Amino acid sequence: MSKEPTLIEAHNLTVVYGRKPALWNVDFEIPGKQVIGIMGPNGSGKSTLLKSIMGVVEPTSGFTKVYDQDIDDVRDRISYVPQRQDIDWDFPASVWDVVSMGRFAQRGLFKRLNKEDQDIIAQSLDKVGMLSFSKRQISQLSGGQQQRVFLARALAQQGELFLMDEPFAGVDISTEEMIIDLLKEMKEEGKTLVIVHHDLHTAQSYFDWLVLLNTRLVASGPVSEVFNDKTLSDTYGGKLTTMSKITQVLENKEFPIRHK
Amino acid sequence: MNDFYVILTASLVAINCALMGSFLVMRKMVMIGDAISHAVLPGIFIAYMVSGVTTNLVVLAGAALSGILATVLIEWFTKKVRLQNDASIGISYTLLFALGVILISRYGQKVDLDQECVLYGDIELTVLNIREIFSGFYLPSQSVVLMAVLAILLLAVILGYKGLLLTTFDPAFAASAGVSIGVWHYVLMSGVSLTTVVSFDSVGAILVISFLAGPPAIAYLLTERLKTLLFLASGIGVICSILGYYLAKAWDASVAGSISIVIGVSFVLVFFAVQLAKRKQSVISLE
Repeated sequence: MSKEPTLIEAHNLTVVYGRKPALWNVDFEIPGKQVIGIMGPNGSGKSTLLKSIMGVVEPTSGFTKVYDQDIDDVRDRISYVPQRQDIDWDFPASVWDVVSMGRFAQRGLFKRLNKEDQDIIAQSLDKVGMLSFSKRQISQLSGGQQQRVFLARALAQQGELFLMDEPFAGVDISTEEMIIDLLKEMKEEGKTLVIVHHDLHTAQSYFDWLVLLNTRLVASGPVSEVFNDKTLSDTYGGKLTTMSKITQVLENKEFPIRHK
Repeated sequence: MNDFYVILTASLVAINCALMGSFLVMRKMVMIGDAISHAVLPGIFIAYMVSGVTTNLVVLAGAALSGILATVLIEWFTKKVRLQNDASIGISYTLLFALGVILISRYGQKVDLDQECVLYGDIELTVLNIREIFSGFYLPSQSVVLMAVLAILLLAVILGYKGLLLTTFDPAFAASAGVSIGVWHYVLMSGVSLTTVVSFDSVGAILVISFLAGPPAIAYLLTERLKTLLFLASGIGVICSILGYYLAKAWDASVAGSISIVIGVSFVLVFFAVQLAKRKQSVISLE
């Protein structure tokens, strides 16, 4: 493990909002694995961790590094998909407008987007199956379509490392399948994916590496080592038993299981 | 000619306010305009005490600075003290406005400055201060200043469009891409401060807020593109100014008040018109 180059590291990372800590003394190093999952219950600091890594949130103490460098030196190599719920979808903008924002920083805020940018935007929209919606006003999109637009914007950034905050939250089945296919394709292209995820059932099949959070770090390691009853109950506490009970009831009744 | 001068002045204020107000409405922070327009009072008074005149660049600078000081205070209360944003606004501007009132009542008895004028403005009086721009061409000096500010704002909005759009629509994404939320916040706040400062002594603080919030809110009902919204809000502001002016003449009432009423009533009318159009559309699609 120590021989592999470090992808992301956090040291003594603490983030406090008001008087309530969102992350407490989180310390880990993720080697150059390809698909990394960040999991934990609601309010466990998953989004805050991504935001700290991206420098969106200022840590109260501690620091993070990406590719062994300060985030400011490697930003142009990273694409970010924030949580869909964080923005106002009634904003007067079209699908194309939103995806083109992925090119703003890449091209420079004071330069016009050129033909190359237009092509990248169109390709990104095409990849998520939204090209025919490019003139659509964003308030008219479904949850799944909103998520596709956010993914397209991240694709337009053309990073090599993708940080995604709950890309599967509240999406329809066809979008979920599309995202899974897209992630597979990105993996084959050699992209690195860090995904904040909710669904315990799919964790083992999706991820190579898992970070389990509950304000403090519970575990960080290869899925095969980290994904077990002890760490999961440490992460989810009493909530896990309730959750697995509900899952069981649903499975018995043969309801399709969709998480959040 | 006097009609034209007043309408010109009001329209320029309307356009300036529409440009800034559209971004404020989208950021859900229009009331920061209210805060700034009140918070300029101590700046004006101190600048006046230093320079001795009420209308010059020193006073404008003093006002603009205390307006920006208000936004810094609000930002500080929100970010560092972690007070709710609306509470931060309430505390900051009342503090500065009250400071201005006290300074004027304690040291400014002989000064030609009053709080009434700050709130209600005297747009009718712009005609008393006419300047010859070039031979035979006269304009109110107030509108010359407003035109200069319009040029600055246009430049800022055109050059900074992407930065303003990105930090308004999705600040977290903007920050992740290395675009400074703070820088663009203060670019916008400086623009709002400048706009408010040059506007309020002609039209008063109340009409400034009306212009900042109303036309962009009306435009928001009518369009789904930010660029269109900027043009539409400016146009609506100008139309409301013209209607308001003639309404005031007919009623022999305050121009600033009449324009505010036209804006408010227009919003309600447009809202119901849009609702009606939507209902008709859905009936047609059902048939």
